[in-house]
Amino acid sequence: MTIGFLFFVLINGLSEGMVLFIVASGLSLVFGVLRVINFAHGSLYMIGAFLAFSLSTLLNMDSLFSFLLLMILIPPAIALLGLGLEIPLFRRIYGKEHLLQLLLTYAVLLILDDLCRVVWGGEIRNVSRPEMLGGSIDFFGQYLPTYNIFILVMGPLIAFGLWYLLHRTRAGNLIRAAVSHPDMLGALGVNVARVMTGTFMLGCFLAGLGGVFMSALANIDLGIGMQKIIECFAVVVIGGLGSIGGALLGSLIIGVGIAFIQLPLSRLAIVFPYIVMALILIIRPWGLFGKPER
Amino acid sequence: MKRSLPKAVIGLFAMILAVGILCINHSAWADAIRVGWTADMPGVGATFYDSQKKALDLFFEETNAAGGVLGQKLELIIRDSKLKPDVGATVARELILSEKCEFLIGPTSSGVALAVTKVAKEFNKIVYFHTSNTEKLTTTDYQPYMFQVVPNTGIEGRGIAMFIAKSPYKRVSFIGPDYAYGHTQWESFQEYLKKLKPDVEILKAVWPKQGETNFAPYIPALMAESPEVIYTNLWGGNLSSFIKQAKPYGLFKKASITSLYDLDLLRATGMDMPEGLLGYARCAFYAVDTNEMNTFVKKYFDKYKEWPSDWACMAYDGMLALTTAIKKANSAKSEDVVKVLPGLQWASLRGSRYIRDIDHQADVGIYVGYTKKDPRYKDFLILDRVVEVPAADVWMPAEEVQKLQPKD
Repeated sequence: MTIGFLFFVLINGLSEGMVLFIVASGLSLVFGVLRVINFAHGSLYMIGAFLAFSLSTLLNMDSLFSFLLLMILIPPAIALLGLGLEIPLFRRIYGKEHLLQLLLTYAVLLILDDLCRVVWGGEIRNVSRPEMLGGSIDFFGQYLPTYNIFILVMGPLIAFGLWYLLHRTRAGNLIRAAVSHPDMLGALGVNVARVMTGTFMLGCFLAGLGGVFMSALANIDLGIGMQKIIECFAVVVIGGLGSIGGALLGSLIIGVGIAFIQLPLSRLAIVFPYIVMALILIIRPWGLFGKPER
Repeated sequence: MKRSLPKAVIGLFAMILAVGILCINHSAWADAIRVGWTADMPGVGATFYDSQKKALDLFFEETNAAGGVLGQKLELIIRDSKLKPDVGATVARELILSEKCEFLIGPTSSGVALAVTKVAKEFNKIVYFHTSNTEKLTTTDYQPYMFQVVPNTGIEGRGIAMFIAKSPYKRVSFIGPDYAYGHTQWESFQEYLKKLKPDVEILKAVWPKQGETNFAPYIPALMAESPEVIYTNLWGGNLSSFIKQAKPYGLFKKASITSLYDLDLLRATGMDMPEGLLGYARCAFYAVDTNEMNTFVKKYFDKYKEWPSDWACMAYDGMLALTTAIKKANSAKSEDVVKVLPGLQWASLRGSRYIRDIDHQADVGIYVGYTKKDPRYKDFLILDRVVEVPAADVWMPAEEVQKLQPKD
């Protein structure tokens, strides 16, 4: 096994981790502000992927431009869907007991998953990669898919964008204030409900964006939402609930870990995220970047 | 206006009654041979069902146009078995009891087939299987009112192992979903291969979880040991997307992935399919050059403007065998026809074939070849340099079959 090959495995794992980060950061953000673990987050991601499939067959284009179009159009659509869920449903469970939150978000997951079954059916779908990203580049004697490189470039850009939004804009200040001092924020005359709705929509936006990226990376079927929410859950437990940096680190640990752990033993790949999650829960239950609950 | 209402109602009922009587008359047509089909219509069964139905419709139309069988009309009655064994058993009973079907056509799923064969045995009605191919049907779950016109899992596994043993490939690996059946398949495959080719190198297998849609993390692990052939039990949509995902990694520049390359898979993968991959088909229309196949393909293409899938060819072939048996027995009763099944020879689409007496498995082998573009087919690749591994070389020896079959 050459160094080149190990690099190849590393890059492959990093690009997997990046997609996971995009979705998991949404879940983490929503938890940080709203204190709700949204189990339906995976379903929103899946709807994003299915929408990407439908739109790409409708547009029938395989240029980079059309793919960028998917990236621009679909996440806001999922955010709007989030708005449609937040106002009648989610808004009512903020600050309520965990069991109630679990019941509601899980119910929404079941409803959304079944809606997907009705609309898109049980078949396996995939979105063809834009021609420019469909090939591979020579990488120390290995072929590395261009699409993975693309994700590897986009991932940090999105992470930076998210950081900028949260730390350098007024909206971000409000969101962060809603995490640390929700009562104070209200006392200052800020419409906290609106901040919460906005945060929820941002979380959904990220789920949709992850769905678009995934749609051309792997196949789409009715199981991907459930699969992703479990992975995301592992990520936020590892990184710390509510921490975006933690979500980034957690995603990369899982992506890279899965890529390497199976070189000696392939069957370990399935259990790897859960082993890490269990270890973290034993050693540092609030996650790597989280804060212990008071 | 109000007065005419009762009259209209009476008229309506009279019409319903008349139509009803006509229907009863129709279904009780004394000289029709009724064939019931437990078809797996939904979900992953949909594409299979579509082409099977087209082929069967074609068969029934042309046979009836030519005067039927033994002077009797053939009728096809279809029920949806929904890929569920219990539903399969229920609809098979319904087809026999309420629809008075004398013969049955099997489903796509092996699980459903095992349920249907039990019902066929219970009522002594012949059923044939054309797509579902578990070896259990001819061994542990064998019953004489059954025949198989599709190469079973044993013929497939040993057939491809034999082909690889004869080829220069040495380094063999595996990728497949991590569940019991996948492990059994890989173990029996490597055991058989080692027997045929002692110097073969069996490499580490790669096990994604069941239902995995993203194969990317597994591909470098697969490449790490540079296999020449990767055997897999991935099939259909999953195999197609595995190929699409693995292609940009350059996996197929160094290795072949070997599995069932039926026409639906080739069409689904389209021009993304790399050339030169080793694969097999259960019944590839383009690889068989008999008059029967050529006529069938022409009729099928003229009618539907598409090429017949493996499933279409085999569903059609089963009807050819069944009607040959009916003619030979000179009776349209399952109880008489079953007597001529052992050793029955028929003019199959695949040439002259026979049904082995011990387990009612037709001597149909698999078609092994290498993927290649062909100017005749614009949207998909076909297998080239195809050889049929004869069933007689690789099917389970009669003594072993006997040991497994139920003793009663």
